[in-house]
Amino acid sequence: MTILATEGLTRRFPRVTALDGLTVTVGPGVTGLVGANGAGKSTLIKILLGLLAPSAGGARVLGMDVTTQGAEIRRVVGYMPEHDCLPPDLSATEFTVHMGQMSGLPRTAARERAADVLRHVGLYEERYRAMGGYSTGMKQRVKLAQALVHDPRLILLDEPTNGLDPKGRDEMLGLIRRIGTEFGISVLVTSHLLGELERVCDHVIVIDAGRLLRSSSIAEFTQTTQTVAVEVEEGRDVLAARLTELGETAVPQGRALLVDIRAPETFDTLRDAVCDLDLCLIRVEQGRRRIEDVFREPADV
Amino acid sequence: MSEPTGVIHDIGYRHYEGVRLGRRHAAVALAVHSLRGVFGLGRTARAKIIPFLLVGVMMLPAVVSIAVMALLQREAMTYPSYAVTMQAVLAIFLASQSPYTVAPDLRFRVLPLYLSRPVTLGDYVGAKLAAMITAMFLLLAVPLTVLYIGELIIDMPGPPHTSAYLTSMAGAVVYAALLACVGVAIASFTPRRGLGVASVIAFYLLTSAVSAIIAATMEETNNYAASSWAWLINPFFLVDAAVQVGLFGAAPSAPGAYPPGAGVVVALLLVAGLIALSVTALILRYRKAASR
Repeated sequence: MTILATEGLTRRFPRVTALDGLTVTVGPGVTGLVGANGAGKSTLIKILLGLLAPSAGGARVLGMDVTTQGAEIRRVVGYMPEHDCLPPDLSATEFTVHMGQMSGLPRTAARERAADVLRHVGLYEERYRAMGGYSTGMKQRVKLAQALVHDPRLILLDEPTNGLDPKGRDEMLGLIRRIGTEFGISVLVTSHLLGELERVCDHVIVIDAGRLLRSSSIAEFTQTTQTVAVEVEEGRDVLAARLTELGETAVPQGRALLVDIRAPETFDTLRDAVCDLDLCLIRVEQGRRRIEDVFREPADV
Repeated sequence: MSEPTGVIHDIGYRHYEGVRLGRRHAAVALAVHSLRGVFGLGRTARAKIIPFLLVGVMMLPAVVSIAVMALLQREAMTYPSYAVTMQAVLAIFLASQSPYTVAPDLRFRVLPLYLSRPVTLGDYVGAKLAAMITAMFLLLAVPLTVLYIGELIIDMPGPPHTSAYLTSMAGAVVYAALLACVGVAIASFTPRRGLGVASVIAFYLLTSAVSAIIAATMEETNNYAASSWAWLINPFFLVDAAVQVGLFGAAPSAPGAYPPGAGVVVALLLVAGLIALSVTALILRYRKAASR
């Protein structure tokens, strides 16, 4: 099933070409859209919402054409903008109910849905207070709630982790993952940080200067090599030397060692090496190659 | 098996299977939301003070008139002169509340959220105008209607002034349309509410002062034709001249007479032109705001 697809999508502004012949297909689940600032992510979202006409090419969202069926698309798609968008003198409840009605829900249904989604995004008693006094984390949650209130089939999240502290970032990423899996709503999430998308996405699209660099599933990126991260209290280098001696590949990374898994026996070798050297083992963790590493390679490999 | 009461179950995410209404419903919801906001409903207690204070002041002449009718059996105030007499209060309400309908959405960038919904830019502008027009109409029509009901209940000698009441209601519709369109259009040009309030009140003070000064000067030189035109610069006298006097033949509420004959047509065209100009300005303004 295709959630959205673009075909030679191009958008030129008087000074810049924001999108340049972009052809991608996105399936269900969580999809990351990665690119530097100005890579064309926000322009793509505006086109997908039917708010901006493409200069050339076309796009379909949930089977609907963006140039002719914009209003129908916007009824079943949720959008969380990157910028602040909350009126400070309303409470989160009132605002979310209102936004639900704006998406076509009758008032009573909007009330029920608003209460539901605010609970899901983790806003409780504070949702009755005016939003002017909210922290960035709470504001991001309300922005997410208003995108979910009408139970869309797809939500477009523009930089949802912007301005969050590490804990808030983790919680937001966890929520996005839940939306994609538990809620069964497809997600397109943009970020300029690959690392955080790695944790939540099923599929990653990388664009640069409006052109497609790569589009592949996370599994494809990370299954190419399997590694374990091994951390010992002291003697990281001794262990590395021993493993190399035994024919394994071990690369130091920070305080840990990244050991390539050639075969299941590698785990035995590793265990024995740690025992023989009498080292204090802190952790052994299934390590994945980070997608950053994949993209660090030339794109045309 | 009986379940314990008062237990909250986490039933997980529930999908919405109910009806999804269209653009019209959303536009009406937006208009109602804005109308409530104009009167401070659903906002902080502080936001309710000014609108309700002004509503109270608007009601005063009606209450006093009813008292005069009941105690002295005399008519105190004619219906069509209500808006002109209370023009300062209407202007203050317009200035203080019309920026609320548009400025916060621009300042806090709520507009992109609205546009990510099925409503179009035209629906948005229409809903905001409808909200402000309704607010202005209520502000004027409620005291007029209270006054009329009062007159019917007191049952003064002679027939009730039904036609004068209906004239003033027709006037109220046009007053509301013209004032709201001009007020919202002026307010939409700045995302800052304070600046919007100042601009709208400046528009009223300027037009009413210019109108009064020119009219007075012309009267001193005995140029009564010119002075009658000068009154039309004030939007309150303009609507009075065009609708209440021109179309329904009420007595003019300005200190002097309005231009007769072709003057009515010009006044009507001016009202229509001002409304059209304001709506065009609003739409252009929002096209620009939406493309950012």
